[in-house]
Amino acid sequence: MNFVTYNVPAALAETYRGRKLVVRFHDSAELQQVLLALHPDDLLYLQLLLPTTTSADLPQWGEGVPIDIVMSSPEAEFPQLYRFAELLERHPVRVSIPVVPGFSKAVKLAVALNLTVKLEVDQPKPALVEEMMQVLEYYLHHSTVTQPIDFFHNTLLAFYHKDPVTLWMIQEEDPVYFRYVTEQGEETVARRLAGTALQGECGVDEKFSQEIRAEDQECCHCEFREHCAGYFKWPRQEYSCGGVKTLFRTLQHAAGELRQDLGMYLRADLEQRP
Amino acid sequence: MMGNHFSLILLPTLKCNAECDYCFENKTNDCLSLEKLAVVIHKVLDHMEQNAIQSLTIHWQGGEVMTLPPTWFERAHELMQEAAQAWGKTINHCIQSNLIGYSPKWNKVLGEMFGNSVGSSLDFPNLHRRVRGCNVPDYNILWAQKVREAREAGIEVQVISIPNRKTLKIGAERFYHYFVEELQITDFQVNTPFPGGAANEAKNTLSLETKLLCQFFNELADIWMSRGYPEGVRIGPFDVLLDYFSNGTACLPCIWQKNCATEFVCIDARGYVSQCDCWVTSYPEYWFGNILECHSFSDLLRNSVVRQRFQARPGRLMQRESCIDCDYLALCHGGCPIRAYTVSSNLMAKDPYCQLYQALFRHMEKWAAHLSGLRSIQ
Repeated sequence: MNFVTYNVPAALAETYRGRKLVVRFHDSAELQQVLLALHPDDLLYLQLLLPTTTSADLPQWGEGVPIDIVMSSPEAEFPQLYRFAELLERHPVRVSIPVVPGFSKAVKLAVALNLTVKLEVDQPKPALVEEMMQVLEYYLHHSTVTQPIDFFHNTLLAFYHKDPVTLWMIQEEDPVYFRYVTEQGEETVARRLAGTALQGECGVDEKFSQEIRAEDQECCHCEFREHCAGYFKWPRQEYSCGGVKTLFRTLQHAAGELRQDLGMYLRADLEQRP
Repeated sequence: MMGNHFSLILLPTLKCNAECDYCFENKTNDCLSLEKLAVVIHKVLDHMEQNAIQSLTIHWQGGEVMTLPPTWFERAHELMQEAAQAWGKTINHCIQSNLIGYSPKWNKVLGEMFGNSVGSSLDFPNLHRRVRGCNVPDYNILWAQKVREAREAGIEVQVISIPNRKTLKIGAERFYHYFVEELQITDFQVNTPFPGGAANEAKNTLSLETKLLCQFFNELADIWMSRGYPEGVRIGPFDVLLDYFSNGTACLPCIWQKNCATEFVCIDARGYVSQCDCWVTSYPEYWFGNILECHSFSDLLRNSVVRQRFQARPGRLMQRESCIDCDYLALCHGGCPIRAYTVSSNLMAKDPYCQLYQALFRHMEKWAAHLSGLRSIQ
């Protein structure tokens, strides 16, 4: 059985018929033409790429099919989320937000509109790590946040359950399970790594981490290697992970606190039982 | 509005038997005939069909709805049921009345159409409400008498109350005592005033000092939490905020919807369509169109430039105001457009009660945390 999900442009959806798909739409015309030919069972979700698609373009189709709104310029595009939030009545909706300056406004509004969030992050500079840290604090401690913000959410769960889930998996970039097909039809690992050639069906551990272990001392001694698996060392392996480690450390600490609090609650609950 | 549900505020009459100084509606003698009602409901159901919307809630308001005879509503109910059945849709009804025109003749339709439940309004102390040709003090006496009669007939009455300067002066304790202990109202909501419609002297006095208003709301919340909440008394908006901070979800009032323009519309007795009752009765420049004159209600809503401005409002507020930085963005989204417009003449301004809302959110958040702490140690 083939477990691979292919992220394909709408123009190539027909070519990949019968496989598990993420179909991405660049504009309204494409949406109207291709959408009705798709079978909801083949879809993991639809991706609507901003700024060219708008929520008003989506026909009454595929109730329940998840939708991923992919922002390109979050600081300019975030007010549009009000229109996309209307899709929640018929679809689960996630917003993929690139980690660029000002992205936190889009995160705040998305969460306020009950939309789940996935941060599209590559190798953030210190100022961006600072903004990510503010978003992480918001996610962990703000009483009105009721939706997941990934990769924070699934990394927190991984720490909490002590599961060796990697960022590659959380970010849907593990080549064992996900392939990104470019507009030219080239299969690659992920949008951020377009141009990275695949060799067979190797996983992150086999391909990426081996190279990192061999070449990068920072990963060898990193306490978060199990969860990161070299994610932040791509595409530039010289990237220094000092900043992103503070994110991992905060999540690890929060998971510990959560485990401790729940443990205390369960013990108190047991003691009170007759 | 979107999704599987549509909400409609329907004003079948613009007549009123009261002359309240602060009313935001410009009254006329217009009433909706049953023939025109059939046209309205046909077009609304067609809109629902086109947009795959299954259910409709109609909020019947006026003018004053009880200036129409109960037989009008009985026939309207039959028309609605027949239409709903023909289109395979569900229609629910709510009613808002000052109850001054209530008599036992209303019991049948209140039971069958409105589930023996009526929303009404009363202020304390009353400064502005009066029955046509009577004095202000007579109003509360007559209203209380009508409520007693309605209750004896098994009808539940929920109340909306608007505080004024004297309310703030007498304080939350006296206010609570009047509604809950004296009138035995166990379900009411406290709203904020705004100077909608044609200007007059009374409307010039509606503005309340924010500090005093915050103090009044917070003290009322404390009284409710200590005395009313354990007894099952519900006071809005405290009850929904407590739900929100305790459970993460709540049915918030329209002023705090993420975008009221996607949640409901209002149609008046002349067929004019706008955002809500104040807009449709007092601001013709904010009409979306006329449902009796249009071919398709869906097209009217889709193509209305005015409605597009309402739809764009929360997004614009996020860019222009401080809302995006607010801790309670998820709860408010910039607040009520009519309150903003009537105070600042600017639709794209945030709600003038921003400070009150934030104080209230913070206060109820603390109460929810306190309750949660109590539950965990019990």
